[in-house]
Amino acid sequence: MPMNDIHPESSIILDRRQLITGAAAFGLSATFGAMPAMAQGAPKKGGTLRMGVEGGSASDSFDPRTYADSVMINISLMLWNNLVEVADNGDATGELFENWEVKPGAADWTFNIRKGITFASGKTLDADDVIYSINMHRGETKSPAKALLADIKEIKKISPTQIQILMTNGNLDLPYNLSDYHIIVVPNGTTDFSKPDGTGAYLLEEFQAGVRATFKRKPGNYWKPNRGNFDRVELRYIGDAAARTQALVTGQVDVINRVDPKTAGLLAKSKGIKLSRTPGAGNRFAFVAHTDKSPFSNPDLMMALKFGIDRKKIVDNVFSGYASIGNDHTVGAKMKYYDPKQKLHAYDPDKAKFFFKKANIAGPVELQVSEGAFSGATDSGQVFQESLSKAGIQLDLKRVSGDGYWDNVWLKQPFCAVYWGNRPTIDNQLTSTFKANTTWNDTHFNNPEFEKLLVAARVELDQPKRAQMYARCQELISENAGMVCFAVQDYIDAYNTKLGGLTVSGRYDLADDRIAEKGWFI
Amino acid sequence: MAKLILNRFFLGVLTLFAVSVLIFVCTEILPGDVASAVLGQGATPEALAVFRKELGYDIPSYMRYWNWLVGVLHGDLGIALTNKRVIVDEVLPRLGNTMFLAGYAALIAIPVAVGLGVFSAINEGKISDKLANILSLIAISFPEFFIAYLLIIFLSVNVDWFPSLSTVFKGMPFSERVYQTTLPAITLTLLVAAHMLRMTRSSVLSVMSTPYIEMAFLKGAKRGRVITRHALPNAAAPIITVIALNLAYLVVGVVVIEAVFVYPGLGQLMVDAVSKRDVPVIQACGLVFAMVFVLLNTVADILVILVNPRLRHKR
Repeated sequence: MPMNDIHPESSIILDRRQLITGAAAFGLSATFGAMPAMAQGAPKKGGTLRMGVEGGSASDSFDPRTYADSVMINISLMLWNNLVEVADNGDATGELFENWEVKPGAADWTFNIRKGITFASGKTLDADDVIYSINMHRGETKSPAKALLADIKEIKKISPTQIQILMTNGNLDLPYNLSDYHIIVVPNGTTDFSKPDGTGAYLLEEFQAGVRATFKRKPGNYWKPNRGNFDRVELRYIGDAAARTQALVTGQVDVINRVDPKTAGLLAKSKGIKLSRTPGAGNRFAFVAHTDKSPFSNPDLMMALKFGIDRKKIVDNVFSGYASIGNDHTVGAKMKYYDPKQKLHAYDPDKAKFFFKKANIAGPVELQVSEGAFSGATDSGQVFQESLSKAGIQLDLKRVSGDGYWDNVWLKQPFCAVYWGNRPTIDNQLTSTFKANTTWNDTHFNNPEFEKLLVAARVELDQPKRAQMYARCQELISENAGMVCFAVQDYIDAYNTKLGGLTVSGRYDLADDRIAEKGWFI
Repeated sequence: MAKLILNRFFLGVLTLFAVSVLIFVCTEILPGDVASAVLGQGATPEALAVFRKELGYDIPSYMRYWNWLVGVLHGDLGIALTNKRVIVDEVLPRLGNTMFLAGYAALIAIPVAVGLGVFSAINEGKISDKLANILSLIAISFPEFFIAYLLIIFLSVNVDWFPSLSTVFKGMPFSERVYQTTLPAITLTLLVAAHMLRMTRSSVLSVMSTPYIEMAFLKGAKRGRVITRHALPNAAAPIITVIALNLAYLVVGVVVIEAVFVYPGLGQLMVDAVSKRDVPVIQACGLVFAMVFVLLNTVADILVILVNPRLRHKR
């Protein structure tokens, strides 16, 4: 289900791996000129970074339990730090945790806290701060991170710089779960978040929710070498995609997020502007059917629907090519343990016809769509309708109001549009959508083999074996679940070429929401 | 006279009360609720229950209306559900911004529109009259965001005279603020001027056919003088009304312009609040908008009474 994060990308851009492959193939010098601002030597200090960001509103607050979208995540990571950072290659690396050890069974963890880190107030970071910060998201709380930490049984302080976490069910992904953007580290006992006291690179100057926020660099050396390079950062909320684009073109901001895929190609041609594309990290767009109800309980009908949707056409036309083709599960191609070898349900009207006939269903199938589900849902539904009609299958599109869509339609109607956000781990991605009897199992998927694998994979220390288990999970969903996931959106940022350090993380846009910390002016 | 004015004010207050009921009822029936809108992906049933309790959604709605009304009468618009800020503190700076932009636009629009309207009336049928008519029709026919984008392309992207973003903030120097808001002010001027211009022109012209104007001509006055000294004061009533309506539009109807220019006005606050189902903020914005509307209309009514002695007495 919905996460407020959304959007696109471009063809000009590249992630770092593609870039390196390209450089190797054509010779470094040939590619260097066209290279995005990613590896231009050592970072330099200075300058004011001006960001134009969508994904916030006048109701934003600093309380980490209310973060839901890009603006507050970016702001938060300027002022505070997480415990764990996910590196550009997808590995969980230490941030305020220096490192950790796990016992077999993945239920007993020891985390070492980085020494010599101080908050802006001068207080030294210790285990109590860390424990308090994690506990904000446990127990009676409305924190969205609560579910990620639900398996934690106990957190013990071993020393001022070491804690132990015991879990009811082992889970090797605990460090990933702790990298969640809600889990920032605040001083022990903090209840008033409006005066941020953090270990991050910047200090807050001014904050007006829904308008802008400004920051200055914290005096002295930031504890992360080569990070926190700007003298000042100014972040403006720009909700309108056209306004954001103009702001970048007219030089009023240096970087923007969520470029409209329809104009991304044009924007890339502007002088001094580059795009940065984060593929496989955006929202997963799908139509979901309740497979415990007729007619969707008929597996042949589901196969007909899966083979009868022209995914490529939707990606090209509805998302202007800034998306990758989905294969009926929510695991993105950049996610660790994604299985690139799984069978793809490519568009095949003949097969669709065959399965539909076999299903022996009378009458049309009804699909409910709304722009309230995601932007492009109606158009995607129309392409679906058209591509199904080539297989002789009639799809009735019912357009419903976007207002209250998540309350009135999603989870209630037998076949409707949905998007799922990118989750920190494959386990989380699969658990939240497909585990039997969970609130958001929007296809009512219930497969004993999958249930068993999902739990076993959480504690499987043998990497190849774990990968195999997750591959099988993806296959089981793709073949049996009631989800027609046809596209995974890319994020597109655009930035001034004077800006360096805009790495592509594969997780979130704006350099994993850390552009203010990672970037610099060349 | 004083009684008449008091009467108008009383009616205004009554209207506001009715509006407050309407606003409350309408926000009550908005689909979806704040808890699920705020929590988004994290909205587990458990978290929802905790949040709803926190919001006081367990008391009946007429009680909540009463509490709200009492608060409003004491100048307390409540606390935002989403970020727990005092709503008055959120609304006032935004209202200030909105008023600033509206005032700026009005400052350009009213003299230009009324002046051009009179000018058109003086030159009725001549090429300048037709030109003013055609241009104003064009301006009024385009959607507002289109005019805004055209201005941005020409004045911001092509020649770089004005910024395309009008993010104003506290502590911004006045001159900087004026410069930043020039483009939206021009856009708004184009939107409302046509309406006022045409009304000025037509009401002046309708007065022109009355006997006393004929008399003025007969005694030898020039056309320009007849219009400004004799016709205009008597044509003032409809002009005042249309100006008031357009001023109200400048305050309550500029959400699209605020979005395009990223201007932190009250409309944007209300849109944000609606998307998060932050009901007290929606109610506060709605009420402020209603107040502006009612106030402007009341003032216009009173002004019309003042400039037209005939309205002061019952027939």
